[in-house]
Amino acid sequence: MGISDVIPVPVAIDDEIEKWTIFGQPVAEVWFTTTEKIHQIIEMGPIKNIFNWGRKNSVYFLMQPMGCCGVEMFVFGAAPYDSDRFGCIPRNTPRQTDVMIMSGYITRKYLPVFKNLWEEMPEPKWCIAIGECAISGGPFYDSYNIIQNTADYFPIDVFIPGCPPRPEQFLEGLINLQEKIKQRKDKRDY
Amino acid sequence: MTNASEVLSSIQSAFPGAVLDSRVESDRRLWATIDSKKILDVCKHLTNKLNFDHYSGSAGVDWIARNEMEVVEIMASHGAHKVVAMLKVKTPRENPSVKSLANLYWNANWYEREIWEMFGINFEGHPGLYPLLLSDQLIGSWPWRKDFKGYPDLTTGERAVAITTPEGYTEYRFPPTPAEVEAGAVVAERPKYPTFREREEREIKSDSEMIMHLGPQHAMVPGPFLLDVLVEGERVKKGFLDVGYIHKGIEKIMENRTWLQGIVYTDRMCYVASLSNNECYCGAVEKILGLEVPERAQYIRVILEELSRIQSHLIGTGEFLTLVAGVGYAPWQYMIIDRERIISLIESVTGARLTHTFVRFGGVRNDLPDDFAEKCKSTLPYIKSRINEFIELFAQDAIYQKRMENVGVLSAEDAKRVGIAGPALRASGVAYDMRVEDPILVYPDLDFKVIVGTKGDCADRVDCRLREILESIYIIEQCLDRIPAGPIKPEAKIPKKVPAGEAYYRVEDPRGEMGMYVISDGGDKPYRVKVRGPFYATLQTLPPLLEGVYIADVVAIAGSMDGCPSEADR
Ligand code: SF4
Repeated sequence: MGISDVIPVPVAIDDEIEKWTIFGQPVAEVWFTTTEKIHQIIEMGPIKNIFNWGRKNSVYFLMQPMGCCGVEMFVFGAAPYDSDRFGCIPRNTPRQTDVMIMSGYITRKYLPVFKNLWEEMPEPKWCIAIGECAISGGPFYDSYNIIQNTADYFPIDVFIPGCPPRPEQFLEGLINLQEKIKQRKDKRDY
Repeated sequence: MTNASEVLSSIQSAFPGAVLDSRVESDRRLWATIDSKKILDVCKHLTNKLNFDHYSGSAGVDWIARNEMEVVEIMASHGAHKVVAMLKVKTPRENPSVKSLANLYWNANWYEREIWEMFGINFEGHPGLYPLLLSDQLIGSWPWRKDFKGYPDLTTGERAVAITTPEGYTEYRFPPTPAEVEAGAVVAERPKYPTFREREEREIKSDSEMIMHLGPQHAMVPGPFLLDVLVEGERVKKGFLDVGYIHKGIEKIMENRTWLQGIVYTDRMCYVASLSNNECYCGAVEKILGLEVPERAQYIRVILEELSRIQSHLIGTGEFLTLVAGVGYAPWQYMIIDRERIISLIESVTGARLTHTFVRFGGVRNDLPDDFAEKCKSTLPYIKSRINEFIELFAQDAIYQKRMENVGVLSAEDAKRVGIAGPALRASGVAYDMRVEDPILVYPDLDFKVIVGTKGDCADRVDCRLREILESIYIIEQCLDRIPAGPIKPEAKIPKKVPAGEAYYRVEDPRGEMGMYVISDGGDKPYRVKVRGPFYATLQTLPPLLEGVYIADVVAIAGSMDGCPSEADR
């Protein structure tokens, strides 16, 4: 769609503008265009980083203690370690969260619930596995009731080993996740 | 005062021939095998004549070599005397069945359901034998029996195989071999039970009633458990509890580990009170071994267990305040900040924040660092002043008082009957504290009060907890003054194999009475470990407490119990 189709402009300026480009696109197409087009342009240019920047700095996590690591998660979210500094705030409902912290063992009885919680979270979402239990079953590796292969069920982005990991390690994992969000290297494209 | 041999002779004279076998371990412990036909009468006799008003739990044991199963009933008294009677009932391994005590003792219900789903022992006359901890897919495989095939066998290296489920996920399972299915070792068709959902929906009687789900993930719950309430308007008519969402099978796993490795698992039972869990397990094993703990080690254990009690009460109170105050997390943050100071004290000794594995058989792992007393002396007065401030704050705040007074009232009578434990019991005015009832370590030499409440409502329970912190601080101060120099471990090496025997050992966990029943068959691994956790008992009392309250009070009542579902599920 040419610019002159939309508003009548003096011919001289019209010619001039049609020569201008932005990100290799004619300016005229950028200014008077559809939402889809805008999205395409955002994808192409450095402006896309704004989204990642926003996502990276507001990773709310789900308050969902499941094991010993859950207690460390409490502390991580509270004043002494203050995850708030990194924009990481505990929320109580999956509908408001971006990060699922898998803080302990997943049992056969809890797995369907956990899947539900994960499905309830809006995209884009990330998952951090904390502690040996969430990674591989940990000390309960031979229990009849524990799921050892959590990574087969959930797309885990960051693994934080330890039993339990210290809150400092939580912070490190979080920063790694933010780095990942910034690079847009995670598994889902959005 | 009644002692164990008097109890035994009383049973023997009342029911000649009912006691098949007996052992009086000390004044406080009685072990007796009771004729399975007489168990109900013996229990009635104990309760009515001998003041055994505290049904403390029961344990199942699978004696595969003798081809029989055993149910051990643990009976005690709320302060009338200090005897704990362990009554065993035997039943053959084929179609095991014993008489249910659930109609006699209200709280026997859950213990028997657990034994049934784990061992397959039927309880005659039980009001509702439904699964409690296990998910439906495991019912019928009786995982705690000794011949359960689901475990990877470490000696033969047999491992699970990957199976693709219909939904496309990979699961690791131990498929029964065709030979096993034929031999009947695996139940081919699982018995059918109404699910939890179906059971609760049966209770809906009219159109104006509905079921509200709180959990398994909910801001209220300190770990996953499902609390459903049947409401009519704003009032709760009935509560339903479903637990077992984090059932790890610790008791079974401990049977597959050496004695020392078992300590690691006690840590992970209740992770905010790992030191008292350590103590409970080690104490029981020491009892079988006949080990004496050096005095310095006893003092170190007391100091650390009391520190652990302080931090546990702080996090418990904080959780409660998040629930009732709701607005943001401010009160919670205050508690956590204070708790961090205690945690760093514990960490300076044990090297870990939560899972310490610090208490060892006959002693402790390492000595206190040099500056520990100094650090304590600077931290404890601060905590004390804070706690005094909190107590004052709660007492003065009119809104808080209005909100919490006469909410969730548990009378002393009821509290005893339902078998609730710890601060929740003491808030009702029953001075029942294991540190006094079953004194261990150096507690008899120390001076401390058992804190009791008056009304047994939510405000009382929280107040009790806070005042207990002050008492703990007082205990630690005394210990620091008196702690002698000396060894912290026994001189002799601890044997790898523990002689055959059994012991029941009780400690006062931050949440109440915790007991461990440990059986050794002379090997390098425990034959059976049964944990009688305090929160298991407390959780069971929640549904009746909720009847008739407002929906808004449900969280307050549940929060004031200071929960740790991990220890309830094990
Ligand atoms: S990794 Fe260790 S500390 Fe974390 S939940 Fe598992 S057992 Fe507990």
